[in-house]
Amino acid sequence: MAPANPPPLLTLTGVSRLYGERAALSPVDLAVAPGRCVAVMGANGSGKSTLLRIAAGRDTATAGQVVYAGRGLTEDDPVIRAEVAVVGDMVSAYPDLTVREHLQLVAVAHGAGRGRDGLVDRALAECRLAGHAGALPGSLSSGQQQALHLAAMLVRPRRLIVLDEPEQRLDPAARRWLAGLLSAEKRAGAALLVATHHVELAAAVADHVLVLRDGVVVGEGAPDAVLAVIQ
Amino acid sequence: MTITREAIAVPDSTRPTIALLRELRRGRARKRAGDAAFWIYVIVLAVALYGGEQIAAAFRALRHPPPAGAGAAHALHAAPYGTAALALVVLLVLVRDAQWRGPVTLPQPTVDWLLGTPVDRARLLRPRFRLSAMATTLAGAAVGIVPAATLVGFGLGGHTTGSAARLIGAGMASTALLFALGTGLACLVERYRASWRWLRGASQAALAAAAVFAGMAAWAAVGRPPAVAATVVAWSGPWGWAWQGMVGLAGGAAPLWPLATALLGVAALGAVAAGHRAAAGVPGIALRDRAATMGAMSAAVLNMDTRGVANAYGRAAVRRRASFRLRPPRRRELVLLWRDLLAVARTPARLAGAVALALLAAGILAAAGHRGQASLLPVGCALSLGYLAAAWLCEGARLDAEDVRRSEQLPFRFASLAWWHGAVPCLVLLVVAGVPVAVASVVAGEPRFLLLLAVTVPLLVAGALVNVFRGEFSPDMFAGVDTPYGNTAAIKIIFWSAWGPVLAVVPMTALLSSALGTPHGGALARAVVIGGGLAAGLWAYAARRAARLRA
Repeated sequence: MAPANPPPLLTLTGVSRLYGERAALSPVDLAVAPGRCVAVMGANGSGKSTLLRIAAGRDTATAGQVVYAGRGLTEDDPVIRAEVAVVGDMVSAYPDLTVREHLQLVAVAHGAGRGRDGLVDRALAECRLAGHAGALPGSLSSGQQQALHLAAMLVRPRRLIVLDEPEQRLDPAARRWLAGLLSAEKRAGAALLVATHHVELAAAVADHVLVLRDGVVVGEGAPDAVLAVIQ
Repeated sequence: MTITREAIAVPDSTRPTIALLRELRRGRARKRAGDAAFWIYVIVLAVALYGGEQIAAAFRALRHPPPAGAGAAHALHAAPYGTAALALVVLLVLVRDAQWRGPVTLPQPTVDWLLGTPVDRARLLRPRFRLSAMATTLAGAAVGIVPAATLVGFGLGGHTTGSAARLIGAGMASTALLFALGTGLACLVERYRASWRWLRGASQAALAAAAVFAGMAAWAAVGRPPAVAATVVAWSGPWGWAWQGMVGLAGGAAPLWPLATALLGVAALGAVAAGHRAAAGVPGIALRDRAATMGAMSAAVLNMDTRGVANAYGRAAVRRRASFRLRPPRRRELVLLWRDLLAVARTPARLAGAVALALLAAGILAAAGHRGQASLLPVGCALSLGYLAAAWLCEGARLDAEDVRRSEQLPFRFASLAWWHGAVPCLVLLVVAGVPVAVASVVAGEPRFLLLLAVTVPLLVAGALVNVFRGEFSPDMFAGVDTPYGNTAAIKIIFWSAWGPVLAVVPMTALLSSALGTPHGGALARAVVIGGGLAAGLWAYAARRAARLRA
């Protein structure tokens, strides 16, 4: 169990992002602690993905400060790559590697070594992909491809998990499974930052909800209060 | 196991990861080798079929180099400036390439699955740089044959096989070194984004210098620029060092060419070494952008979708877009004109290019008409340039044609868009080409020039619209039909790509050259009537093609 009020693992202070003259994100403050989940909600184009890319070190803020465990956050830092798992912006897979082989690759790349097969088997079972372990990604449905990306998260170390609309392409049953999976990650001590359109997912997992509109935070607080307003 | 509250020690998993990837792919190596062999076979076959005769002729010429002809001295005088201009442009293209593609690119799956892991970036990226540097250097060696063979063709460099081979070898070596230098510098540009601002200024200076060198080459071909100018160009930088070997061996004034070549070699080696070091630090953001661009571009190339290639490049390239505003019209008949004016005005580079092409075309036609003997070649060239200008200005039509859903909310039939979208290109070309043509008409007392322009412009725009609304490339075209004269696939693909210009440029070339070449009114009337009818017909054909796209 995580302590009652753990110090934040990820802190964004006054972070903004300009594309040319257009402000995709106006100054945003955000903190995610281990064992906690922050959900970012908002309409399409509201700045959720921009915020998450910055939080994952895959984009640079125009202004403001991003601190992860006391260090600057950039994907070019191997420590960040070792500890921050990102799900959601994967658009392709190796066409010649099977589902199992993809997971083996990620596990080994993160130093799993000999334990990789056990890890991979557990992730396959957890993500209901055991029956497709030998399949090539091209033969998977879009929901199964999303499950493959979630499985990749499970075979690697992760202190912070950044998920951009992980419920995309999942059916209602799979979305319930996803909520359970993320809750388990939280209980195990991971810090979660999730962008989602799905109110039920946010209600089930989040401890804090942030609502963006046109790059500006228009509401935040405990899920019950914020989600009631949204609904 | 995996979720920890304490910081994780980053494992060095590079070696096992790469070993695993190799092991997983071992079984597929044979298939990949087979695919590669097939493509090599296709390329060799195509080169042998379409260029075999020329290659054989080139080898024969190399064995028995021709004697120095009348143009040899002029070529030798112009070569230092001309090759320096070319070398500078090549260097600039290679370095600027790093702003959107660069020597270090990873395939999308590697970006998605390995870039986010602690695998050592140097082990992923440096082999990519080495591969790029090697491929570019080999390409440079191949390109270097062209200027050297041109000098041999002028009868420069001696009359023996050995002397010609030495000249070609010098061309290959210096161009290969130039390409290697460019690749090394490009990697530094890709690694250090801060260099982009500097590069913008340097590009303008380099283009200006290349233009000056080209002007000097023209001067040297017909006159005698001061000798000191050649010395200044020779030692002004790698572009000057690059040609000295060729010119020296061709009998020109480059006594220190071994030193220049050595300098170029040292610069190339230094740049490649610096690029190799920098490759490991290319930022992840840059690698993700480039992988996405190359993925989109490869898909477009495989689909023969030239528009897709341009779009992928446009999304990646650093291109300034003008924030031009224009108040929308009140009348619905003017709304597409307004929309097309915005499309043209917001891409000033496209507009400037079209204007330059149109002016060049008008100049060539005026020169051809002035002499009173307009032969087919200059008229055909001028109309081809005019067609390109028209095609560049049809941006509004192209935007609607590439995705028919875009215009769904408009109150126009899709077929009628072909008519509407032609208005702005016609207007721009008539204004741009009309001014010099009007001046020429007044000076020469020949109003027929204006009449011919009024017919030619709509015809070229209609031809461009025929191409714009051609639809997607169908892979079936590769199959073709077997006839006693061979398979029709190549012809079908060529006509699919160039049906518009063929229909517009070929007949108008004959009509225009006849009308410009004779003062008789009959040829003029024929050109105006047939050209006008052809324009109307092509416009209707473009509309029919558009209707088929929506169907």
